[in-house]
Amino acid sequence: MKIATKLQLLFAGIVAVFVLSVAVLIAQMSALSGGYDAVLASPVRDMDQARVNFKKEVQEWKDTLLRGYNPKDLATYSGQFRAKEAAVRDGAVALSKTVHDDQARQLLNQFIAADDVMSAKYQRAFDVFVAGDADFKAADKLVRGQDRPPTDLFDKVVSRLETKVQATVAAQQQSARRNLLVALGFSGALLIVLGLMGFLTVRSIVKRLARLHAVSARLAQADVEGLSIDISGKDEIGEFGESMAGVHAAIEELLHAAQAPVPAAA
Amino acid sequence: MATRLAGYYAQAANEFGVVGRMKLAMLTKIPSERAATEPDSPAHIQAFEQALKQLRAGAR
Repeated sequence: MKIATKLQLLFAGIVAVFVLSVAVLIAQMSALSGGYDAVLASPVRDMDQARVNFKKEVQEWKDTLLRGYNPKDLATYSGQFRAKEAAVRDGAVALSKTVHDDQARQLLNQFIAADDVMSAKYQRAFDVFVAGDADFKAADKLVRGQDRPPTDLFDKVVSRLETKVQATVAAQQQSARRNLLVALGFSGALLIVLGLMGFLTVRSIVKRLARLHAVSARLAQADVEGLSIDISGKDEIGEFGESMAGVHAAIEELLHAAQAPVPAAA
Repeated sequence: MATRLAGYYAQAANEFGVVGRMKLAMLTKIPSERAATEPDSPAHIQAFEQALKQLRAGAR
């Protein structure tokens, strides 16, 4: 193989390793980014918002009982309570459709059922409150402690989803570490192979060039006695060695012609 | 003993003189002294035939 071809192949190999490394890196970054996108798109944040709405709903109920003796406040706080109540339910229903985790979805469905029961109790308590001329004690008695089971269910959903997110993040980190090691190992192995090939190629070229230099130095000194030109190969150095062998033979022939007659033909 | 190879040198000397011998040696890489001891192998004969053709073509 020609030296130029060898060098071109070596260069192409290095470029290929570089391109391959970049491709692996891009693929790894893409996979990592996709994983984190999935984490960001997870319903954990929506769950937090729904939990806040739920707590506000309970707060609006308490405000209704506390300040509902005033008709204007009653209208304001009961309206806000109903708005929050609807937001909580709509949010929970929407979440139950987007959550992929079966256990979390099951917990959300349990929450929706519990919320329906609680809403009915709130409505009954509200009716008692209005009918009893702002009798907050009677109304509170009907719903006291009723918000705890749904709250617990909500906390369980959030906890479950957070666990899933943490597991996803851990899996992403592990995958990134593994991919990085694979990419480094693969690129490193290829670079070592290419480096070894380059080293052997250069060493061979340098050794043969040194032999060629020694031959040309002896020819330059007309020192052809016992000179042996053993520089073979199909590359440029081999071709040069062949030419040197021709020159050597020509010099030997001239020296011989000067000393002896031509051998007679048979 | 390479009598045929030695014969090529005799032909080159007759046709082109010392320069012919030198060119034959350069083209075949086998000087006359070595040609006398090398075997008359088909490869050698082909190389000398080719070299002589080249010398004659160059002389025209």
